Amino acid sequence: MADLALPKTLLVPAGLAEGLTESGGTINDIVQDALNSPIHRERWKYTKADGFLTQLVALSKAPTIYGEQQTGVRWLRETISNPIPGLDLQQGPEAFARLCFSGEAMRLEITGSVTDPVTLIHRSNTLPVIVNLSASASLTLIEMIEGDEGQQTVWIDIGPNAKLNHSRNALNAASSSWQYASVRLQSSARYHLNNHVLGCGVRRQDLHVIMDGQGADAKLVSAGMVDNKAALDQQITLEHRQPRGHSEQTIHNIVANGGKCSFNGRIHIHDGASGTEAQLSNKNLGLGDNATINTKPELEIYNDDVSCSHGATVGTLSQEALFYLTSRGIDKAEAEALLSQGFLQQCIDGPLAETALKAMIGIRELGASL
Amino acid sequence: MKLLDVSNLHASVETDDGPQPILKGLNLTVKAGEVHAIMGPNGSGKSTLANILSGRPGYTVDGGEVMLGNNNLLNLEPFERAQMGIFLAFQYPVEIPGVSNMEFLKASIDSLARARGEEQPNTANFMRTVRELAGSLDLDPAFLKRGVNEGFSGGEKKRNEIMQLLLLNPKLALLDETDSGLDIDALKVVADGVNRYRNQSNGVVLITHYQRLLDYIVPDYVHVLSNGLIIESGDKSLALELEAKGYAWLT
Repeated sequence: MADLALPKTLLVPAGLAEGLTESGGTINDIVQDALNSPIHRERWKYTKADGFLTQLVALSKAPTIYGEQQTGVRWLRETISNPIPGLDLQQGPEAFARLCFSGEAMRLEITGSVTDPVTLIHRSNTLPVIVNLSASASLTLIEMIEGDEGQQTVWIDIGPNAKLNHSRNALNAASSSWQYASVRLQSSARYHLNNHVLGCGVRRQDLHVIMDGQGADAKLVSAGMVDNKAALDQQITLEHRQPRGHSEQTIHNIVANGGKCSFNGRIHIHDGASGTEAQLSNKNLGLGDNATINTKPELEIYNDDVSCSHGATVGTLSQEALFYLTSRGIDKAEAEALLSQGFLQQCIDGPLAETALKAMIGIRELGASL
Repeated sequence: MKLLDVSNLHASVETDDGPQPILKGLNLTVKAGEVHAIMGPNGSGKSTLANILSGRPGYTVDGGEVMLGNNNLLNLEPFERAQMGIFLAFQYPVEIPGVSNMEFLKASIDSLARARGEEQPNTANFMRTVRELAGSLDLDPAFLKRGVNEGFSGGEKKRNEIMQLLLLNPKLALLDETDSGLDIDALKVVADGVNRYRNQSNGVVLITHYQRLLDYIVPDYVHVLSNGLIIESGDKSLALELEAKGYAWLT
């Protein structure tokens, strides 16, 4: 395999490079090495990275925002000049590179309990977004991904006791689409993600969650539908760095009719993160002909005092459940539709649930009224 | 009027070692208004009979005929049999997370109405009916929003089956060990539900291990199934005799 290369030389904004060059070499070399490290190659095993790398230098504009005119919300465009909490070059070298190429970012600062949601609409390529929640702040953040080709990179830092409900719909029919999100939780911070996604030409979603304070709590819930030869590649790394964290991940994907879906969920529990509870469940339903499903839950634990579970399943519709439904007069096609819908519905929730349901399965009349 | 007519039914179940014959020429006639209890030792073919009648996959019919009124059931899909009026109360009702009970019941009642050329009930009225039914069977109406049978106790699952029986009002109800795993109070609730369902135009086939249920749902006939054949038929006193003597004196 040829080496992965950035489309042009990086110019690193001052402040961003702090601490990154300790190991020696130029930033360009470090990024280049990170792109080609075995662990990173593994993350790109099922999706070609080249196309995404070429696009890192594409022109970006600010996402459209709603709800920023509230007390406790600031939204500004700024030149990148300070370190970004949670930034991890090794985890996301291409996201780091995109930040450098862009040179500027949108910053969303939340300093209180914000009542109404803040909505970001990303059409095609949007500027990197940096979200800060100060101590005890709370926010509902909604993201909608639109447009044809597009890349979104988001860094979120949640202060002590702060709370973020994050809902994201990536339901656009794009030739290629990439969402990278890094989320850092400080002590007793809470993060809840509801992600709804449709496969497209090539869709990639990277999520890096860092439990960086004691008693942090993260819940990640995602529903995906990958139909008609579409592709989806989801890569989640969740690091427990501090004691008594709690994380729960539930990812359900339907892969149908030549669709291709890859999932990699890595939980890394560091030395010292005692009393950690971490759960990961990835369930895949294959329907129709020639669905491809790759799934790999990974656990890396450097601590004895943890409670951890991870599981991945790949299956088809339960024959028992099908018989139960059809024995009540429901014909086979409708019974299958009900079961598929039920499978996804377990992971569809939050403010974007209804839109997601419509796009993913076609909502039922009664389902809406319940 | 004959409701169900099973004649010379031979059937086998598919196992890893090939097909295993279970029913070996079974005959059974149920007329409108009748309740038939089917008893018999483990492995005699009681559940197989219920499964074959409702069309559960995994069984092969090797011969014989099953008529529901004028319709031959054996070539029909399970949903077509249900639309013609067959209902199976499951021995082990299935849990279906993500599909709410209410959604499921509405899909079912709409399918049955469509198949019979009747108008589908309006949603508000339907939901009211279902809530009332649930209440009458001591089921917390909150369960209607939860996944089908999800997290239900054994007793709740069985009561949910009876609620569906009352809602869908089929021509013929097959109850497959609906009493198993029920405490005495739940048993009474279930029996009361079945008695509410009974009328002069429908029929019940009740599969059970124990005479106790028959104290509450009084059968017109009791049959003993053994090794794939009905070897003895009688009235409810036969069940009492079985309770006292076991099956050994017959087999």
